[in-house]
Amino acid sequence: MSRTLNVIRLQLINKQTFIWVPLIVLAGATLLSVLIYAMIPGGEPKYGGGGQAPLWVFFAVGMTAMTLTFPFSQAMSITRREFFVGTLITAVLGSAFMGVLFLIGGAIELLTDGYGVNGYVFHLPWLWEAGPLGAFIVYFTLALFFFVVGFTGATIYKSWGAVVITVVGVAVGLSLIGIIYLITRLELWEQVWIGILDFGALGLALWGLVAVAVLAGISFLAFRRAKP
Amino acid sequence: MTAVIEVNNLSKHYKDKRALDNVSLSLEGDAIYGLLGRNGAGKTTLMSILTAQNFATSGDVKVFGEHPYENARVLSRICFVRESQKYPDDATPRHAFKAASLFFTNWDQELAEQLIKEFQLPMKQTIKKLSRGQLSAVGVIIGLASRADITFFDEPYLGLDAVARQIFYDRLLEDYSEHPRTIILSSHLIDEVANLIERVIVIDDGKILLNEETDAVRDRAVTVVGDSAEVDAWVASREVLHRDQLGRVASVTVLGALSSEERAQVTASGLDLAPVSLQQLIVRLTQKASAESGAENQEVR
Repeated sequence: MSRTLNVIRLQLINKQTFIWVPLIVLAGATLLSVLIYAMIPGGEPKYGGGGQAPLWVFFAVGMTAMTLTFPFSQAMSITRREFFVGTLITAVLGSAFMGVLFLIGGAIELLTDGYGVNGYVFHLPWLWEAGPLGAFIVYFTLALFFFVVGFTGATIYKSWGAVVITVVGVAVGLSLIGIIYLITRLELWEQVWIGILDFGALGLALWGLVAVAVLAGISFLAFRRAKP
Repeated sequence: MTAVIEVNNLSKHYKDKRALDNVSLSLEGDAIYGLLGRNGAGKTTLMSILTAQNFATSGDVKVFGEHPYENARVLSRICFVRESQKYPDDATPRHAFKAASLFFTNWDQELAEQLIKEFQLPMKQTIKKLSRGQLSAVGVIIGLASRADITFFDEPYLGLDAVARQIFYDRLLEDYSEHPRTIILSSHLIDEVANLIERVIVIDDGKILLNEETDAVRDRAVTVVGDSAEVDAWVASREVLHRDQLGRVASVTVLGALSSEERAQVTASGLDLAPVSLQQLIVRLTQKASAESGAENQEVR
């Protein structure tokens, strides 16, 4: 167990990856968003998607955890299981950290009336419907989801090559299009939107956690045979 | 003493290549082994499978009596320094050594510091910006300071200059004599490591050609030096591995050990016996083996 915990320390030895880079990206995206909000005339509240920027960092961190940190962990004589579990715990901690930042950002926006320009990056009404805890879970799940997708993609790529990851990507794309086609054909869009709104962001996030767990399981199976 | 490494009928096939071909091997441990062979002979593949970084196609390996795959008990006692080791993207040597100190229980920070100084390794640069030689130095320092029960060095000297290589060899011997353990050094600079290694394992085309004490291997051949006519007369009936001539003086290496009478004869006839270059010997043995296997293939056809 202590070796698994040491993997967390290994991942965090260079705090840049999990903490500073997402933080800088988030601060930058917020600053840009606020500047843009300030240029928009009119007093109504303005909402934007700048808050998703650090999620892409988590995607990249997930990929490099597999392609670079994993080969290094092998040089440290760490088993694949220890590395996988330790890395996933690190991602959970990193995602929780992002979730807390999201809450702090939302609080600042509430206190300052949207940075004085009535503009919001974090406090998006639909995400906050279920209160601060709900908002935290939504953001936490999104960050973790991006990480696991990046890690799983890189594992598949390293284990089976570019062709297989392309095929998987196309297959996922095709099934999404298939679902959209079915919904359109059966004229179910209204029900779908109502369903999504009924679920709320929190409900979707909880299903997202299930998806994360399934992906992590798939990823572990592929990872057990991964070579550095 | 029981073997620390046991390999039974190990084979590894890549798509179009047989990297290891039914290899069996047993290492007693507490020695410095030279794993020698050409590029692509199977050295790295063998070490990767022994450290559970790669997977066998068939056959079995045991390290400390157990299979190393997903086995923290075994792996925690092993260190494998790869020639093309990858490091996290923005890691510096300081990060790498910090990580190593977390996972290798015998880690010696003092030794690490000393080596950092000797190799003049910049500690604050990211590893991806280091030169090839500095990159090798990072691996060498991890391999030495981790002081694992079994340490594999895979061509650890790439890009290191002569001075740095000598530092590596000196520190390796020093630390090994103070802390005896099993060291497996893969190399194709055979003469450079010849004085370091106690046992020689020669691998060629996925097969083990030789697994013997270095001295015994050296005794397999002898070099005779002296007047070229005399030397040629003496070696006429023997298999010549190598011949050098300078003016009237010839130096010829022949296969086969000499009895004490033969030695006496040689010195009596005014010729000198000189030690054999391990490199020449192994090159020749390797060529001989591939010629023989070539002939075998012909017969099969």
